[in-house]
Amino acid sequence: MLVDALRAEAYRFSLNRMQVFVSVVMTPLLFAIGGAFFHYISKSKGDEAADKVGLIIPASATPVNLGDAFAFAASGSANGVILICMLIGAATLYAGDYRWESWRLISARNDRVSLILAKVGVVKLLAIASSLLFLAATFVFLIAQAVVYERSLSFSIDGAEAGKAALVWLLSYVRIVQFTMIALLTAVMSRSLLAALFVPWALGFVQGILGTASPLLGWEPQMWLPQLLLPGLAYDTLKAAVAGPLAAPLTDATVWRSLTGLALWTILPLIGALAWFKRQDLSKE
Amino acid sequence: MTTVIETPVIEVRGLTKTYGTVRALDGLDLSIPRGGVYGVLGPNGAGKSTLFRILLGLIRPTEGAASVMGGPVGQVASMRRMGSMIETPRFPPYMTARQVLHWLALEHGVGAAVDVPGWLERVGLTEAADRKVKGFSVGMLQRLGVAAALMSKPELVILDEPTSGMDPPGIQEMRALIRSLADDDGVTVVLASHQLQEVQRICDRVAILHKGKLVREGAVTELTATGEQLRLSVKPVDQVIGILGSRGVRDGAAVLANVSRAEGPGLIRALVEAGIEIDEARWVGADLESVFFTETGSIRAPETTHAG
Repeated sequence: MLVDALRAEAYRFSLNRMQVFVSVVMTPLLFAIGGAFFHYISKSKGDEAADKVGLIIPASATPVNLGDAFAFAASGSANGVILICMLIGAATLYAGDYRWESWRLISARNDRVSLILAKVGVVKLLAIASSLLFLAATFVFLIAQAVVYERSLSFSIDGAEAGKAALVWLLSYVRIVQFTMIALLTAVMSRSLLAALFVPWALGFVQGILGTASPLLGWEPQMWLPQLLLPGLAYDTLKAAVAGPLAAPLTDATVWRSLTGLALWTILPLIGALAWFKRQDLSKE
Repeated sequence: MTTVIETPVIEVRGLTKTYGTVRALDGLDLSIPRGGVYGVLGPNGAGKSTLFRILLGLIRPTEGAASVMGGPVGQVASMRRMGSMIETPRFPPYMTARQVLHWLALEHGVGAAVDVPGWLERVGLTEAADRKVKGFSVGMLQRLGVAAALMSKPELVILDEPTSGMDPPGIQEMRALIRSLADDDGVTVVLASHQLQEVQRICDRVAILHKGKLVREGAVTELTATGEQLRLSVKPVDQVIGILGSRGVRDGAAVLANVSRAEGPGLIRALVEAGIEIDEARWVGADLESVFFTETGSIRAPETTHAG
């Protein structure tokens, strides 16, 4: 049953070209094009522009290493712009079609848990597709750098770096899924596309403000409260823990708190949405 | 000798659904046998749509139980033996008719087994197969909805107002399709319609609901055979309705009186004595409309059939 629902949801979403473009293709495409353009401008203005954004231009004899793309893409594939674009796609899938007209067509012939899990499955596929396209865009970015600065290309990555990149990529993937789970719960409870877009965005915004204001609130990363309240902080903490050796205040206990926070923010909305949906009357709005 | 008792395709016991203080269904008991075309009738608010939504698992009853194809509502194995169309269907506007059927075939677990072009042809949408459904008329959406309900070859089909929005040729085709489903394919069709003449023409049995309860059930031929009525063209109609009480139903400018042949002369004498002007009095056989209006206490409008 889940397989049927998953195939049907994936087929339906694939036909909604505008949503596919906005949620998956747009950001990597803009990054690739904008990146190439940035290199061109940067070179024409000297290396000041690159310095300002912290971009390291390889020395003249040094080739551009395409292997660096993995670490960069893994870390950046859950950036704010990608999160918002994925939110648009997820909200459309969860709430845009979450109407009486759709449910009366399909719900009589499949169980409700499968129908919801299929939508979640499609969003997870979108998150993977988005990450892969972002990786491809990063390759384009580096190739453009090599072309503009007339450097040769190389490809090298050691096993440890690859392992770290894979772990960071997994964390970024979980972060995207976690963010869109808020859209799922909101969509099920409100049956409103606007709410499914606005609530996760507003919540993320408030959490971002709280994260920035943490020192003022007396919150330290090693404390339970901020790690449980702020999934963005939990994600950043875990990324830092993976990227380098643990240093104070990143103790093992802090990492476990971060993992707990991120996991709860991912799993609880899903459980809530499934429980709510199973008992919900699907009648006219 | 062995007696085979066939399980009803739909069985409903003590079904109640309340919305706040409104009881949309009020302890409904109903058993729909396998085979033929079964009509569910009732004025607006009688509970037809609520019943259908419960049967499709869209809403949950407040009390009571319902089973479909021998299994409780919501059991996917049973529900997959059923097709449905509730009101005018709406499909994702970015899909073509062909894509809609392919999508629903995947969702229904029948995928490639469905003959999509064949179904589009059967409901007269071959030429519109690759057009986006956002440009479809209500009648075309209705046809596509019927194809979606039937394409997985269900044993039971539930159709809510299947001819709504269709032009006369379309209505005729739909009637023929429904009859052929029952007669040729052995599908049990359960439909709700406000078109009482249509129901009388294509249904084998009907249930009449009123205020969430079953008020009459039986074969159309039985219901219409037992209802001979005295049709009185009288003035003023309202006074006669008042005299007859629940035994009188307005029929345009006339009144249909549910009285026996023996009571007829006495009734006419009483009306004359009451100062009622009688232009005509004649015995008429009941049609489904008159049975419906009698059972639901509704008023038959002068020109059009009014089920509200």
